Amino acid sequence: MTTVLATIVTLAALSAVGFLPVVATVGPRWFAVPLAPLTGAVLAALAATASLSFGGALIDWFVGLAVVAALVVFSIWVLEPERGPWARPSTRGTPGRRRSRMMGVVGFFAVVVSCCWNLRGLRSPTVGFDARALWVMRPGWFLQSHAQLLIDMKARGLVLSQSAYPPLVSATTAVAWRITGIHTARVGVTTIAVLNICALAAAAMALVECGRGVATRMVTPAASGVGSSGVGSSGVAVLTGRPPWAPMVTGVVAAVLLVFVAAGVTEPFLTNGYADPIWSLAAVGAVAYGLQSRSDRSTRAAAAILILVAGLSKNEGLVTAIALVALVAFRTIGIEGLRAGWRRWVAPAVLAACELALLAWWPVLMHIIGARGASSSFTASSDAGSRTSAVVHGMSPYLHVLVVALPLSIVGGLVLRSVRRRGEVGNDLWAWLALAVGLVAVGGALVTGSGAIVPWIRSTVHRITEYPVLEGWWIVAVWAVVASSGIRTPHAKGPDVGAAGQEVTADDSLTAPADVTGVGAAS
Amino acid sequence: MDQDLLVASPPVTAVGTPDGTHRPRPVQTVVVTTVSCLVIAVALATLVGQAVRGNRTVGAQVSSSAMHDASVDDAFYQCIDTQAHSLVAPGRSVALSTDNLADVVTMIKGFGSWVRVADPAARAQVVLTLHNNVAGSGTCLGTQVVGTSVGPDGRTVVRIGTGAEVAGTGPPPAPPL
Repeated sequence: MTTVLATIVTLAALSAVGFLPVVATVGPRWFAVPLAPLTGAVLAALAATASLSFGGALIDWFVGLAVVAALVVFSIWVLEPERGPWARPSTRGTPGRRRSRMMGVVGFFAVVVSCCWNLRGLRSPTVGFDARALWVMRPGWFLQSHAQLLIDMKARGLVLSQSAYPPLVSATTAVAWRITGIHTARVGVTTIAVLNICALAAAAMALVECGRGVATRMVTPAASGVGSSGVGSSGVAVLTGRPPWAPMVTGVVAAVLLVFVAAGVTEPFLTNGYADPIWSLAAVGAVAYGLQSRSDRSTRAAAAILILVAGLSKNEGLVTAIALVALVAFRTIGIEGLRAGWRRWVAPAVLAACELALLAWWPVLMHIIGARGASSSFTASSDAGSRTSAVVHGMSPYLHVLVVALPLSIVGGLVLRSVRRRGEVGNDLWAWLALAVGLVAVGGALVTGSGAIVPWIRSTVHRITEYPVLEGWWIVAVWAVVASSGIRTPHAKGPDVGAAGQEVTADDSLTAPADVTGVGAAS
Repeated sequence: MDQDLLVASPPVTAVGTPDGTHRPRPVQTVVVTTVSCLVIAVALATLVGQAVRGNRTVGAQVSSSAMHDASVDDAFYQCIDTQAHSLVAPGRSVALSTDNLADVVTMIKGFGSWVRVADPAARAQVVLTLHNNVAGSGTCLGTQVVGTSVGPDGRTVVRIGTGAEVAGTGPPPAPPL
């Protein structure tokens, strides 16, 4: 079996495992496609953690978790058929649907094509330094016996303290090796590169959805401030005309550009087996769906999956993911939700608690077994000032996107705030808060760490700043989409405006569920 | 019924226009439109500029020099992997010599995924070491994997890895950290 075939087989296996959970939680949305293999990777990471915790082969745990997940989904669908994907309201034949649906298709394929183009770095057989030393070396440990795995994780003679890092990348590679029988670093690198691109595609598709959503909201009564949710009796959005082209086209263009930008920011690590791109891209996607998109069941589920991907991939991702769990929960509940009583906040709180439990499982396990590198290397350094200065100076050249993003946010926040709110795009401050969290997580580790700061920064700054840089570009891109709806207001006369009050939808199976709980409360 | 009374009534929505929207002031509309155009122009221009740079960065990964370096690096680690396989029989426990930290890392990168590491190291049946700057054939860019074990008669046995070689001198080109 060739490396290409092995990668395809692995991707198919991960997608098959992740398909049902994604369909059940996210629904039949375009961005569910790249989330399926990522969900499979999350299950692989949990299988590795379970294997280390309780014994048993990783592949047995992987298959077992996949079966359990599928059974849970089928049970829910049998017991509550109204929660199945077939229960979505039919919108066939409604005007306005075709335009938004077409842009969804165009956006999906535009993102997929641009993602594939940016995977051409895989033509080079590069395996990164850390990838060979850790990320695509550790999979072999996961395929050894439980007793040997414990030795591998604990033996001081193996010197590498990074072996206590979260397992997603290595666990996925181990599944690839086990399924295909090809135990090469190259298969690990290509598999991780494809997962990186899936995370990037999911984040980029959030821009496509943002454009379509903004366009739809421009022709809903709720957008005009009538006090309605804009949702008709059939459970789909009530439109007063056809959604305008500008936000939808801008969303697609911005999504494609974001793919190219992100590929440039994350290379060479995008295609050489490092874990930095996957957690950074997944975190950006989590912010996009959890803090910037309209809050509904699909976007919250997408955010949860991407948060797990980020948190199970690397320590920096873990810290950022924990913060994102809190931010998404707070946005979903909102101040009004806290005042409204426990029924309003218990579901988001339980979801957040489950996410935190899954994220904490691996690091807690590392401490329990006394794994190499699990103990803290924090130091109350007396030269915190100079370390902070070195960190700021080291990171600054890579954060030039903030020079663009900050003025755009200020101007947009002052002038286009109502346009953004009308489009039900999350408040910009959420994205800035998420960006700050990532910077503080990485910067804090550098400042409080015990390693020599200058060489540490020099050798890692390119990749540890990926998340804040990508988040900055996301902020820029989403302002472009929002602004494109500011040029043409719903009050303007034009051929796009249809019969007022006619109940139409932006699309059919791709329309967001009419769950608007929490929308506007904190955005 | 109330419903009958509302049949011919337009929806009561908000003060202002019949469809419930506040009538925008001309100045406000101009400002919003102007700023929107500005924001789109700046955002898309910077995104396009960065996307072009990104495309170049990705393209650089497949330059001939990058491909060559990656191939040499790959060949080196495959070479020491093969030599290690020639020294360690299946099921035997291994210790990696910790005399040189760089060599430990190289050995982990080369064959750390499959060796059965002994803990404590003193119990290992084979101790693996790297010999660098070795002249002649049978080396991986001048590096050889050496296995030390205790024979059936209690004597120390030193064997040199075989089965692969990469001509030239090392170390291999350093991939990005």
